[in-house]
Amino acid sequence: MTLRFYWRLDPAAEPARGEASARPATGFVPRDVRTASLNRYDYYVQVARAAATTAFDGLFVAYRPESDDSQIVAAAIARTAPRLLLVPEFPATVGSAVYAAKEAVSFQRATHNRLGWALTGDGGEEDAARTAEFLHVARGVHGTRPFDHDGEYFSVKGGGFQAPLANVPFPPVYLSGDDEEALERSARLADVHLLPHAPLDALRGRAETLDRLALAAGRTVELGVIATITARETAEEVAAGQGIAGSYDAVANRLADLHAIGVGHVVLSATPSLEEAYRIGQFVLPRVRARIADLRAAA
Amino acid sequence: MSIDFYWRLPTHGCHASIRRGSYDRGDWSPLQPGNVAPGLTAQGEDDGYRYIDHLAEIAKAAELSGFIGGLIPSFPNTDDPWVISPLLARETKTFRFMIAFQPGFLDPVHAARISASLQRATGGRTVFNVITGGGGPSQLWWGDDFAHDDRYGRTTEFLDIFRGVWAGKPFDYDGRFYQVEGEQLSDLLSREEVPEIWFSGSSEAALQSAAKHADYYLSWLEPYDQLTDKFARVKERTAQLGGEQKCAIRVDLVARPTEEEAWRDIRIGFENVSDATRAQWRGQPTDSVGAARQSALKPTEAKRWDDLIVGKNLWGGFNLLRGGPALGIVGSYEQCAEQLDELIQRGADAFILAGTPHLEEAWRIGEEVLPLLGRTAATTQNLLEAAE
Ligand SMILES: Cc1cc2nc3c(=O)[nH]c(=O)nc-3n(C[C@H](O)[C@H](O)[C@H](O)COP(=O)(O)O)c2cc1C
Repeated sequence: MTLRFYWRLDPAAEPARGEASARPATGFVPRDVRTASLNRYDYYVQVARAAATTAFDGLFVAYRPESDDSQIVAAAIARTAPRLLLVPEFPATVGSAVYAAKEAVSFQRATHNRLGWALTGDGGEEDAARTAEFLHVARGVHGTRPFDHDGEYFSVKGGGFQAPLANVPFPPVYLSGDDEEALERSARLADVHLLPHAPLDALRGRAETLDRLALAAGRTVELGVIATITARETAEEVAAGQGIAGSYDAVANRLADLHAIGVGHVVLSATPSLEEAYRIGQFVLPRVRARIADLRAAA
Repeated sequence: MSIDFYWRLPTHGCHASIRRGSYDRGDWSPLQPGNVAPGLTAQGEDDGYRYIDHLAEIAKAAELSGFIGGLIPSFPNTDDPWVISPLLARETKTFRFMIAFQPGFLDPVHAARISASLQRATGGRTVFNVITGGGGPSQLWWGDDFAHDDRYGRTTEFLDIFRGVWAGKPFDYDGRFYQVEGEQLSDLLSREEVPEIWFSGSSEAALQSAAKHADYYLSWLEPYDQLTDKFARVKERTAQLGGEQKCAIRVDLVARPTEEEAWRDIRIGFENVSDATRAQWRGQPTDSVGAARQSALKPTEAKRWDDLIVGKNLWGGFNLLRGGPALGIVGSYEQCAEQLDELIQRGADAFILAGTPHLEEAWRIGEEVLPLLGRTAATTQNLLEAAE
């Protein structure tokens, strides 16, 4: 199994970066020729291109109601950020499942299948039920024709996409959460389940539970970890670092350990997002890949 | 006076010529030599171009040749305008994305957020064509089982909330279809302008909703007197609410250097439609009043192309040649401009034009027809009459 790396862009973080409305109106000595058309999206694109040029596999876009919408951001950067899988996070309350599936299909068609879905929510009972039905209907209209459904939140009659809309794959679905209910839900619905970073033993336990539940559901679900990361050239520069923290070598070893217990996807973030994408992409990812190759050769 | 002219992005593929019905741009027909986006390389392989790449060229042609933007339609087998617009945001400069969408399909607060985000991505180039759906099987296909007038009720409430959460303070709403409490856009988002709202629908329920929320009331082209009446009714309703209604027309053109060349393309196009295809064109059951007003033109029963000439430079068979409404304008550049001038005289404040193929015709109409507006014989005549 390969290990896939995703960078995570947060539209609400570093709010002044590239933000036209945050530019100093007075007291700025340099002649400022930046027009309003140079804006925050240019920064999002830079982060995405940083991830693309440093061999990340994908980019998550966080859902932040107070800032730019994750799906709009993902589409706006798609044509200038090559290669990356783009994974907007969003809740199942955005609207109709049929409509969301149709948008997903258009995105897939336009980007050579580079969309993923990370469904978020408050994890409550109502949210869980809605998310499950949302995915059932979205996958249903994508894969079945005619598709009929009469449920709690959505109803469809004679639905289902035709060619050429039906010709693209449904986006891989990422769900997250740490409790047994979340794992159970992922066992039924997710392609990838994302766990918050935790000590190896705890992760191993969760991984076993997920496998068992998925087996019972007759599916396979891949495992991922989502974490902030603090990596520096030397260990002493990492004072009280957040998340996965340490020297480049230590952090790389840690990520290789995750891979060894069956983690196939790692979603990383750090601030400032642009600079840290380069740092992690240039100094950590190559070390992880080399380490995994070494371990494999040794085994 | 200046008039907004929009073009159209065909979201269901495009034809290389109005003379033939094959969708040889895009992947709605089998991939074969001569197809574009995707096409075949010299080695016979998929060249990697996607239909979005062709849409990008149409959008750029439209903005370069003088159109303010383009309508992006939404039907069950089209690509989606909410995806196309942000995808093309960064490679266009002035092109306004007119997103056709049915309010029932999105949560209204979410819709306001994504609209503000798109405004930020485009520098304020988002416009809506609010549509309310044609009922029948296609409505159920979308997962919507609301009856006709309820759909318009829902549209009205949706737009109430859409504008309400944009106003910079907590917004409460207790409607029949939606309830929200204390919702508002963040300062960052509410700083953007509410997108201009164009509104389609010909029924009583539609006109009522339009009077409250439409910046532009949009209609397909209809026989001119009928259209003038409709515009008058809409304007009157909006006036009762204290507003002034602007009206717009969506129409296809076949504009050629001479009238003869224009009708030749129509004739060949008509003759290339088989009887079987014509029979299929009757369409699905619908509760749309607007669609009924179009099909009253009965293009499916015509034996000859010229049975469908319904007025000077007006042809009622466009829906045989491509999906969409029946009535369109056919003529020389000068005559097409005269028709548009006449429609302006009759109260049109804006247009959405289209022609097939959409890329080349954007250039042609932008370069050959738009510059003639306001200078044609019809206008001069009207100005003279007005002066008398
Ligand atoms: C100019 C124009 C454009 C339209 N575009 C669309 C569209 O893109 N998708 C769609 O489903 N319906 C579209 N419609 C149809 C409307 O959804 C609706 O069915 C129609 O206006 C019927 O409403 P009525 O019964 O009030 O006439 C359009 C209608 C008009 C007039």
